[in-house]
Amino acid sequence: MFKTFKFTRKVENILMLIFTAIFLIYISLSPDMSIDSLKGVLVIGVTVGIIYGLVAVGISLIYTGLDVVNFSHGEFFMIGAFTGLTVYNFLIDGELIYAIFPEAYGVVGYVIGLFFAFVLMGLFGVLIERIFLRPLTKKGGGYTVAGMGIIICGFGLSVILQNIAYLIWNPTAHPFHADLGLPINIAGITLPMTYLWMLVTGFVVAGALYFFLNKTKMGLGVRAVAFSKDISNLVGINVPLYISIIFGIACALAGIAGTLVGPTYQVVVYMGYIILLKAFASAVVGGFGSLPGAIVGGFTVGLFETACSFFISGSHKDAYAFLLMVVVLLIKPTGFFGVQVKMKA
Amino acid sequence: MLKIDGLVSGYGSVQILNGANMKVDAQSIVALLGGNGTGKSTILKACSGLIRSWSGSINFDGEDIHNNPPHKIVERGLVQVTQGKDVFPAMSVIENLRLGGFVLNSKQKLKDNLEKVFDYFPRLNERKNQLAATLSGGELQMLCIGRGLMSNPKMIMLDEPSAALAPQIVLDIFKNINRIRKDGLTVLVVEQNVRMALLLADYGYVIKDGVIKVEGESKKLMYDDTVKDSYLGGGGTTANV
Repeated sequence: MFKTFKFTRKVENILMLIFTAIFLIYISLSPDMSIDSLKGVLVIGVTVGIIYGLVAVGISLIYTGLDVVNFSHGEFFMIGAFTGLTVYNFLIDGELIYAIFPEAYGVVGYVIGLFFAFVLMGLFGVLIERIFLRPLTKKGGGYTVAGMGIIICGFGLSVILQNIAYLIWNPTAHPFHADLGLPINIAGITLPMTYLWMLVTGFVVAGALYFFLNKTKMGLGVRAVAFSKDISNLVGINVPLYISIIFGIACALAGIAGTLVGPTYQVVVYMGYIILLKAFASAVVGGFGSLPGAIVGGFTVGLFETACSFFISGSHKDAYAFLLMVVVLLIKPTGFFGVQVKMKA
Repeated sequence: MLKIDGLVSGYGSVQILNGANMKVDAQSIVALLGGNGTGKSTILKACSGLIRSWSGSINFDGEDIHNNPPHKIVERGLVQVTQGKDVFPAMSVIENLRLGGFVLNSKQKLKDNLEKVFDYFPRLNERKNQLAATLSGGELQMLCIGRGLMSNPKMIMLDEPSAALAPQIVLDIFKNINRIRKDGLTVLVVEQNVRMALLLADYGYVIKDGVIKVEGESKKLMYDDTVKDSYLGGGGTTANV
């Protein structure tokens, strides 16, 4: 079945290699090039990449599970960041946390904030799926007229969620002063603790997701429902419940990613928009619908973006992700982990 | 075991079944025969809850399962094995089988059933760690049936188990279906391969235009030329043989 594509795939890979080589040669000629800057770019790129990856995994999960491209996913990221911030501020403003953890109150508060962002966004996602998407998807998703409607509704939901966040948290930028300790020095790079938290938590969450999907019964069910709802029905999986679980997990991942990013910039109502587009670019680069592809795509976009903004020009930072996406779509339309043709009944 | 009364159903607004009546006794093999597009698969889908039945009743094991959600029907012990190669290609054989036992709550039962399936189909045991996408057509059919058996069903409905397989493999699979019945299960088999199905079954139904036209002992049906001519493609030869 795939034999006819073999030659083209080879050509695709060669073209990708040529593009990578040209890019690497170009940035190595940059006057800023040095071992230290390369190390820094690598670490920051991977850190940013894992965040893009987590959001992209959510988009891919929803795409495979619900046959819907969720354009409101960035808002779950934003509300997740606000949830984490609110929980953290609530704890820091109280007395209790200083009494119990006088030394590490910042870290403990941040961990609790991450936990609440994860759990609350998961529940919020399930709620949104039940009351908003469930009635719409009943008419069918994908390329049907109803499917087009769902995509527009996704944009609408994004606006609604932004306005709700606006009402609750007002439009000013909220600084997220997570007291996580002084920057540390690893192998000659000074890394703020917020970045270390992003890096470590991101990998832990990605690993936990891998374990959940591949080693637990519920994860097996999630993968089954993502592939085919009809066969899942026939083996006795409660498909509507699992669709809610899929949406919940995707939103929980976005929520925890939001709380991880929060302390590095600020928490604003409009922060969901750009992360949505970049996570989208990551999902496309990795191969839309593929979960390992989403993570790898996140790393690729993160590294490319960081390298370009460091070695070429930092003022066009947000454009590079889409430049990469266009190049990958031109050369390798299926992305790195092109998913096999999905058979839908 | 299974009793269908005046079942009316279809896809979207297209009505396929126009009041079908059927009865499957416990521990028997019943064949449902008919040409393309006569509503064979639609009956199975209505029974397993994949499509809604518009009117009529479906009674399984003394309980009305009419329009129950599919997973409830599987829990009750009625499992459909779909036509063709409906497996999860990106998962290993053993994961596919585990999914078949998704409604089971104890790990021990899952293990026992896995051994039972490997006893029926030793080929699956040899290939248990391979991806399902790498299996041959016959092995895929074995995997589908094995997956259906994993949930400890009382009755199993097979949708064209012989489709697109070599005669030798069909024989092997039909032998196993007979063995499954001997172990206490009820089997409803939908077939276009009329001669094989009637050799296997105790009782047969012939469906046309969404209604059961002829029914009877399979031996009687087999030698009834009018049945063949009028409902099963005619010409004295059977479809697919």
